[in-house]
Amino acid sequence: MAYEALDFYDIDSLLTDEERMVRDMVRDWVDEKVIPNIEKACRDGVFPDEWRVDLGEMGILGAPLDGYGCPGLSYIAYGLICQELERGDSGVRSFASVQGSLAMYPIWDFGSEEQKNYYLPKMTTGEWIGCFGLTEPDYGSNPGDMITRAEDKGDHYLLNGAKMWITNGTTADLAVVWAKLDGVIRGFIVEKGDPGFTAPEMTGKHSLKASVTSELVFQDCIIPKDRMLPHVKGLKGPFSCLNNARYGISWGAVGAAQSCFSSAREYALSRIQFDHPIASFQLVQNKLAWMLREITKAQLLAYHLGKKKDDGTWIAEQISLAKMNNVDIALEIARMARDIHGANGILDEYPVMRHMANLESVKTYEGTHDIHNLILGRHITGIQAFTREP
Amino acid sequence: MDVTVIAETSGDRLHPVTAQLVGAVVSIGGTPTVLCAGGMGAAEAASISGVAKVISVVGDCFGTFDGGAWAEALNAVTGGDVIIAAASSTGREIAATMAAMRGIPIIQDATNLAPGISVTRPIYSGKAIETSTVTTPCAITLRANAFDAAGGGGSAEVSTVNQSADVAVAVREAIAKASERLDVAEANIIISGGRGMGDPANFSYLNEIADIIGAAVGASRAAVDTWEEIPHDMQVGQTGKTVTPSLYIAVGISGAIQHLAGMRTSKYIVAINKDPDAPIFGVADYGIVATWEDALPALKVELGKL
Amino acid sequence: MGIAVLLKQVPDTTAKISVSGGRVDESAVNKWSMSPYDEYALESALQLKESGGGDLVAITCGPSRAAKMLTDAAAVGVDSLLHILVEDISGLDSTQVQSILAAAVAHSGSDIVFCGKQAADTNAGSTGPGVAHLMDASCVTMVSEVVSDGSSLTAMRASSDGNERVAVSAPCVFAFDKGIIELRRPNVRGIMMAKKKVAETLSPADLGVDISVSSVSIIGHNPPPQKPPGQKFEGADSVAAVVGKLRDEANVI
Repeated sequence: MAYEALDFYDIDSLLTDEERMVRDMVRDWVDEKVIPNIEKACRDGVFPDEWRVDLGEMGILGAPLDGYGCPGLSYIAYGLICQELERGDSGVRSFASVQGSLAMYPIWDFGSEEQKNYYLPKMTTGEWIGCFGLTEPDYGSNPGDMITRAEDKGDHYLLNGAKMWITNGTTADLAVVWAKLDGVIRGFIVEKGDPGFTAPEMTGKHSLKASVTSELVFQDCIIPKDRMLPHVKGLKGPFSCLNNARYGISWGAVGAAQSCFSSAREYALSRIQFDHPIASFQLVQNKLAWMLREITKAQLLAYHLGKKKDDGTWIAEQISLAKMNNVDIALEIARMARDIHGANGILDEYPVMRHMANLESVKTYEGTHDIHNLILGRHITGIQAFTREP
Repeated sequence: MDVTVIAETSGDRLHPVTAQLVGAVVSIGGTPTVLCAGGMGAAEAASISGVAKVISVVGDCFGTFDGGAWAEALNAVTGGDVIIAAASSTGREIAATMAAMRGIPIIQDATNLAPGISVTRPIYSGKAIETSTVTTPCAITLRANAFDAAGGGGSAEVSTVNQSADVAVAVREAIAKASERLDVAEANIIISGGRGMGDPANFSYLNEIADIIGAAVGASRAAVDTWEEIPHDMQVGQTGKTVTPSLYIAVGISGAIQHLAGMRTSKYIVAINKDPDAPIFGVADYGIVATWEDALPALKVELGKL
Repeated sequence: MGIAVLLKQVPDTTAKISVSGGRVDESAVNKWSMSPYDEYALESALQLKESGGGDLVAITCGPSRAAKMLTDAAAVGVDSLLHILVEDISGLDSTQVQSILAAAVAHSGSDIVFCGKQAADTNAGSTGPGVAHLMDASCVTMVSEVVSDGSSLTAMRASSDGNERVAVSAPCVFAFDKGIIELRRPNVRGIMMAKKKVAETLSPADLGVDISVSSVSIIGHNPPPQKPPGQKFEGADSVAAVVGKLRDEANVI
């Protein structure tokens, strides 16, 4: 049966023709290239390079950025792209999020003209892959206290430290690395081949298996002076990137949830037990109805947020709400879907457990669920509850 | 009502569907004149009961197939209120071209005719059935095996006419069919083996049958998981592949839910399994309780006769 | 080279078709798509245009919703779009459809026409040969590939034993079966550029074609007959009977 995306409140009617065509282009690509191959990619633990080429050719990398060869699409279109990619697999969407929102975006917003002209055109085609180095082994939710540091050595910068949990790291041609220069967080572009830079792959993952996750290790890493991003200082830099990625994730989670819902519904209609399809049992219907309810709410959150992104009236806390809510319900939906599939749900014949495992990572990265809760708590009360400090 | 029947051939012999065309014409009160392009099958056509006469049309243009030239030549040879042909690829093309030349409407792939002329045919790839009336003169092509064939014992007069037309399509090179296996995802007919085949080597029996009817060979998930010789891309029911064959033949497949995905959407399912209680018989249109060792050789013989 | 590709918008092959009031309910169709064989024709036409130069026009005869299909064709590289607007094509007979399309091809100035071998809704296959006759053009059907060597065109078409390579010259019509290459994906750039390609919309009357009287009158539509309940047979001796039923009852071989 061909995939039918749940769209109970007809978000489709709110889209422009262009947005619909972009969504359909990605949807068809996921059907043709990702769905038939994702289980094997997952078993083998690889991100097929062919997908990088296809994503580049479709022209969707760095979707909402304009100029320098970038697509210049609306944020709604960017959201739809993430939704369709993640319907395939969170790892595929992570590749695109990292490339577009975390590697291309900081160069686009904070880089010099030379840097933009040099990096962006090759990144939007997928020829060069980027990654984003913020998180460290001991600094995740608290990036402000990072210990990776840069020293100004006159004719170059010297980088020391390590980053961890970096998507695309091992295969990336460049990394946008956040490090403290004289105690102030700055962004630096590190290229593969820079002396003192290595990016070993992290193995043994139960989640995001069809995605490359790496460490970035800087041991007296020498980078030329022209690699610092001139136009941003402090956490504002990385947080701006994260806001964009989180926005995309709020749509992506909808895609994963839609995939799980679709599979659960189809399974429930075909699985006969006690002479009836399990879709006829009240407890199963209750679960499916809950899924429909949450997916519909999540879609409306994501769509409205996209409109605010497009007209510039958004605030970061609105993005926190959408990311947190949509990923949370997507994970619950994946679990519930697995339950509906019974024992079959643990096989990779069905996508549900893969989505479930992936969403554990998605719930953790780009700001954990708890952190986003506290961001909202601070917004509501004016009092920060992240730390014990006054 | 004078009807021109375009004879259908297979090689240089008359194709059995021609007798069905004649039977259909007679059933609606028509008088059939059979045209044999290039003279092929003329003597056989004359022996079909109900045929008024046979015109054997010989000309240079009939050496290779050029629908436009054949239609032009055949068109010149007879009038008739209605043109009837088989809904094969050549029949459709010749009839459509003759119809355009005469400025008359054509309806293709009819499964039933009634006086009027009322035509019934499948539409939307068989998801609905359309009945319409068409004024005469007109052309209609008929689906194979949908009409009763006229019997034998006829002795119609055969006349030979020389008629050719300019050929615009020049054949440069013939390329024999490559024996590549059809892809399970795209095939119209799939024959699949399950764990009940006993040994992956036994899939060769399925391959032989597939070759006869132009089918793809598939495998159940159980077979793919058990035997590494059965590759993953043969698996039917894989997530994401919309498999909608007209005919699915399941051999040695139990039919438990894991194996049903994808195959469920087949138009017709034939199951061959030695276990009369196998769940597959619950979804099969035609179930045969037999071992594959007994059933497959018989299937090969019967399909070979078609 | 002036190339035209004839495209038809049909219910997606995965869409459910329902009958209500004796007619197929088009409003219940949830997805409309380019007819699958037309996609192969379109890809081949794009490749011919790219290798030999020339203009490619996509032509459709259909209702307003078919405009979206033309935009999709523009997004993959078709140069211009021609929409002959007929809100209900189901009542047209083959001569009317062919007259409209042949006139549209003439209006576009094309002398090479690509089309699918049959549309997924009618499953007929009359359009290619019929339009060819009206254009006084040669016709090759069951085509999987067309290449040009500058002066003449070569097509690969199905034959009784496999395939054969045939040569024709313009004006000609190629009716496509499953082609060698799938229709290319659009990309964002193509989608943005498609916005700028506005279709020329004409009525049959604008082309001098009168469609007031059709020779075909639809009596009604019905859902397919219910399949008989599953039949079970014992032993390999029943194989012959089953094969006979597949041929005569199910009509599937």
